[in-house]
Amino acid sequence: MAFLDLNSINTYYGRSHILFDVSLSIEKGEVVSLIGRNGAGKSTTFRSIIGLTPPQTGEVIFKGERISGLRAFRICRKGVGFVPEDRRCFPDLTVRDNLEVAARREKEVDSPWTVDRIYALFPRLQEREKNLGSQLSGGEQQMLTIARTLMTNPEVLLLDEPSEGLAPLIVSLLADMILRIRKEGVTVLLAEQNLHFCAKVSDRAFVIDKGSVKFAGTMKELLANDEIKEKYLAV
Amino acid sequence: MDLSFLTVQVLSALRQAAFLFLISSGLTLIFGVLNILNFAHGALYMLGAYFVYALTLHLTGPAGFLIAILAAPLGVALIATVIETGLLRRIYMQEEIYQLLLTYALVLIIDDLAKIVFGPEFKSIPKPEMLSGSVTLFGGTVPVYTLLVVVLAPAVALLLWYLLYKTKTGKVVRATSSDREMADALGINMSALFTLVFAFGAVLAGLGGALAGPVRTVFPGVGTEVIIESFVVVVIGGLGNLWGALVGSILIGSLETIGIIVFPEFEMALIYLLMVAVLVVRPWGLFGRPLKIKALSEKNLAMEAQEISPVHFTVHPAVRWAPLLLLLLVPLFAGRFYQYLLTQIFVASLMAIAFNLLLGTTGLLSFGQAAFFGVGAYTVGLLLTKAGFGTLPALVLSPVVAAAVAGIIGFFCVRLSGVHFAMLTLAFGQLIFAVVFKWYGFTGGDNGIQGIRVNPIPFGGMGALDLGSTQAMYYFVLVVVGLSVELLRRIRSSPFGATLKAIRENSQRASFLGVNIKLYQWTVFVVAGAFTGLAGGLYALMEKSISPEIIHWSKSAEPVFMTIIGGIYTFAGPAVGAVVYVILNSYLVAWTEKWALVLGLVLLTLVLLLPGGVVGYVNEKARQTLGKLRCIHKWPFSKSATS
Amino acid sequence: MAILEVRNIVKSFGGLRALQDVTLSVEKGEIRAVIGPNGAGKSTLFNVMTGLLAPDSGNVVFDGEQIIGMPPHRIIRKGIGRSFQITNIFPRMSVFENVQVALFSHHGKSRNPLHLARKFTEIGEETIAILEQVGLAGKYDMSASILSHGDQKRLEIAISLASRPKLLMLDEPTAGMSRFESRETVSLLQRISREQGLTLIFTEHDMDIVFAISEKIMVLQQGAVIADGTPAEIKANPEVRKAYLGEEITES
Ligand SMILES: Nc1ncnc2c1ncn2[C@@H]1O[C@H](COP(=O)(O)OP(=O)(O)OP(=O)(O)O)[C@@H](O)[C@H]1O
Ligand SMILES: Nc1ncnc2c1ncn2[C@@H]1O[C@H](COP(=O)(O)OP(=O)(O)OP(=O)(O)O)[C@@H](O)[C@H]1O
Ligand SMILES: [Mg+2]
Ligand SMILES: [Mg+2]
Repeated sequence: MAFLDLNSINTYYGRSHILFDVSLSIEKGEVVSLIGRNGAGKSTTFRSIIGLTPPQTGEVIFKGERISGLRAFRICRKGVGFVPEDRRCFPDLTVRDNLEVAARREKEVDSPWTVDRIYALFPRLQEREKNLGSQLSGGEQQMLTIARTLMTNPEVLLLDEPSEGLAPLIVSLLADMILRIRKEGVTVLLAEQNLHFCAKVSDRAFVIDKGSVKFAGTMKELLANDEIKEKYLAV
Repeated sequence: MDLSFLTVQVLSALRQAAFLFLISSGLTLIFGVLNILNFAHGALYMLGAYFVYALTLHLTGPAGFLIAILAAPLGVALIATVIETGLLRRIYMQEEIYQLLLTYALVLIIDDLAKIVFGPEFKSIPKPEMLSGSVTLFGGTVPVYTLLVVVLAPAVALLLWYLLYKTKTGKVVRATSSDREMADALGINMSALFTLVFAFGAVLAGLGGALAGPVRTVFPGVGTEVIIESFVVVVIGGLGNLWGALVGSILIGSLETIGIIVFPEFEMALIYLLMVAVLVVRPWGLFGRPLKIKALSEKNLAMEAQEISPVHFTVHPAVRWAPLLLLLLVPLFAGRFYQYLLTQIFVASLMAIAFNLLLGTTGLLSFGQAAFFGVGAYTVGLLLTKAGFGTLPALVLSPVVAAAVAGIIGFFCVRLSGVHFAMLTLAFGQLIFAVVFKWYGFTGGDNGIQGIRVNPIPFGGMGALDLGSTQAMYYFVLVVVGLSVELLRRIRSSPFGATLKAIRENSQRASFLGVNIKLYQWTVFVVAGAFTGLAGGLYALMEKSISPEIIHWSKSAEPVFMTIIGGIYTFAGPAVGAVVYVILNSYLVAWTEKWALVLGLVLLTLVLLLPGGVVGYVNEKARQTLGKLRCIHKWPFSKSATS
Repeated sequence: MAILEVRNIVKSFGGLRALQDVTLSVEKGEIRAVIGPNGAGKSTLFNVMTGLLAPDSGNVVFDGEQIIGMPPHRIIRKGIGRSFQITNIFPRMSVFENVQVALFSHHGKSRNPLHLARKFTEIGEETIAILEQVGLAGKYDMSASILSHGDQKRLEIAISLASRPKLLMLDEPTAGMSRFESRETVSLLQRISREQGLTLIFTEHDMDIVFAISEKIMVLQQGAVIADGTPAEIKANPEVRKAYLGEEITES
């Protein structure tokens, strides 16, 4: 059994059916990309895993345990970290407080994230330490959102468009970070528009369109598959 | 003025402030975290006092008193926990106004239950010997109990400050308030946290009540007096801010003490005057910051389905004309009582629909509409009784005068939004109430104006329209209200209405369309004020006597109820709500003494079961069917999209 | 002739100098990129130019008129449109209404309280035309709040276009869009700029797009202009490379 398994989940928003029998299976320590056009259902897949929009049928299995149906905070405490796409840092807390409120699971991992480690990763956040979340630039907010989720010391990290709004230098920092935590055994699921970025960090990819999986394979296979590339990725 | 007098007064002001702080710190805490302005907070205060009363009946002596004082808040916390987990939790995703209404319904219910359990009379709680003595301080005699209270309140403040600003839980609490979904995804157990905060706030209210019980009296409804005062405190201080609550309490406590000595007549008006002054200078209160904008995903998206946008849908004309036709025929088979009841409903509908142009369409919750209703009614009343005006000119002037008043009040109010807007309109409304109530020479004070003579309306020599009979009044009001409602419907469906809706959804973005949002908000405030004034004018004509009660804030709450019962995001909702409310009101009062309890239960049920209101529910559930029955028609804008 | 002259803008937040003496001049019809590291002050510059923030000192002259000190709605009326970095739309209105209300404002109809909004058929058609341009016509009756993130970005651009500005400021217009959509958006912007002489100022962290469409590029770092020139000059500028681009860009 894989580390994280989605067994044909179907997710709805109200009455509209968004995900159709989506199945993904991810091994420990992998970095996997989820690729697709706008509105394909990438974010919905993430929200289904973390439990913000629980799937109506199908199940999510994490480390052999069924997590679909649990409340989001329980799923997070089991080690699933979610970075949303729309920069949702807490506007009324300072940068440091934003990080501190998220800290958890320090005992469950070997080298837990601390505020200092975060600052070493994103020095910009340290410079802006006393700013409130609402007083950051767009890119700084994005860094903070990613950093905040790291503070929960996840075993699986769901990154929804992490490179959005980040300067090229920071994007390559981010790529290094992903490769590094992966060595520490963290599994990463990544939804990205930036193909260079995906190619650099991930081993495998799923292409998703209109709520169902259209392609599953290694990154190499994907880049070699002209039909898929043209049809779903516009390259 | 000597030192002993000063000491006594200062300490009495501080005691007042201490009570206020205990209550309002809980109120502001709950608001800060749960985003709920808890109307039931006063009722929890009352319960605290009653619990001490009940406990001291059995437990005597100083020890018993102490146990009672400590146990009562815990009892209140228990009740609060039940309220939070059983009721409030179900509607966190709704707009704030539903939570406000739910807690208001709880006030009605708890007050009536208290009356049943403890009886309607005033209760006083004996203090034990040890605490009823007094000491001499700077030559003044100060009760020991006062000292106890004055010391205890700051201690609570310190404790709160520590918990909120120095502990991780405190930070988590503050984080959660701004983005619940993200807090959830970061592993914060919000349900538990919210229950904890609500219960903790309730403990503070209960403690306030328990401590105040022995020095003030307790009776059903005492909570309502307390809650309004606490609203003023937290709004002056800045909503959600602990220091604000402290400073606000001291300000109001002192003002009340000074007011009683210097202007005993105008004590209450002074408080509202202070509130207006503070909010005009510092719109978000002394320590407050502009309210945070809720994350998009937090808004209740289901509401979408309840709003049948006038841009996308047209209602079949028959749906509009059939009720009108029916109403024209009613007097043929219904008696005078029913005609009178319907006339009341018409007036209430006009007020509610005009109100909802503010709330539902523009997103402004006005809690001072009674002021414009009253201004309209008094305009007609005074012009008819004192100035000898004809009926029609007086009625025509009522919206004009109301609009002028709304213009002035609106100028200050539109700088605010959300709860602050509501509170400033409330303060202005209460100021007008106080003026009308006290100005015997002009308005008749609390006697109001009796025996308004409604002269026939002349038709330029071709006879006259005599409004003397119930039936004539029925038709007259029907026509005036019908025309006004049609005008309001037009406004809502026009480009102006579409722009108002954009302002409701995102005022910053609207200003980047080139829209002067403050001007638009002001305009719609004046328009709503004018129609509310017209409703007031009609009311004066049909009732023929008016009293200041129609300006009291509890009258302002009526259109809020009606709108929520019927559905905020619908045009017809407020009218449907008016039907329900007026009928409930007139039958319940006749049928049972416990009408507040029943009304509370009805409101509670509606909020929980039909969160979009009656019409919203129909819209949501029956949209497909309505379309098929051709009651509504979808407007095809895009050929490519509809084919 | 320069349509926009920004002179010596200074803006501080507390101790932080977010903009230090920024000067910028944009010709009519030009496509100008403003780039720089995160927190360089790009959005702050946009906010100052559109009246959301008041600068500590400096001038902004648009079309020969001083616009500093005007409230946003008046600046917009002069012919400036903008989009926001963090999605800023009317959530519980349909996609159609989002754009229609912008057009009402543009055509001076917003104050009309008596005619039915849907009876303005010309504005309705214009709305659909704009939605078609950004590829959202098929979703015209969906509530904006339930659009996916990338679709919301497109709606954001549609709203900005609807005010038919002479000068359009876009804050990371294609961030969050998939390659299909961002390619289409970019060519749409180029086309409008070419056909209608629209002046465009935008920020973007996607260097492919920046170098593909901009005629001139200004680089901000810590609130100061460190370079201003043609794409080729900027690419070759070592300081820009060190502060912002990193080395990767050499290949592309
Ligand atoms: N609350 C909602 N109600 C109904 N439909 C929704 C809701 N939220 C999203 N959708 C729809 O679900 C589909 C998938 O959305 P999702 O956000 O998962 O896309 P995505 O792949 O993340 O796209 P993007 O790259 O633009 O972020 C979209 O068509 C969107 O319109
Ligand atoms: N209201 C504020 N109070 C204090 N500092 C602020 C405020 N707004 C922005 N800042 C700071 O000013 C700096 C410039 O911010 P700005 O948003 O202009 O950056 P930017 O260039 O747009 O960056 P990005 O590419 O990340 O969007 C940032 O460091 C930010 O933290
Ligand atoms: Mg997405
Ligand atoms: Mg920015």
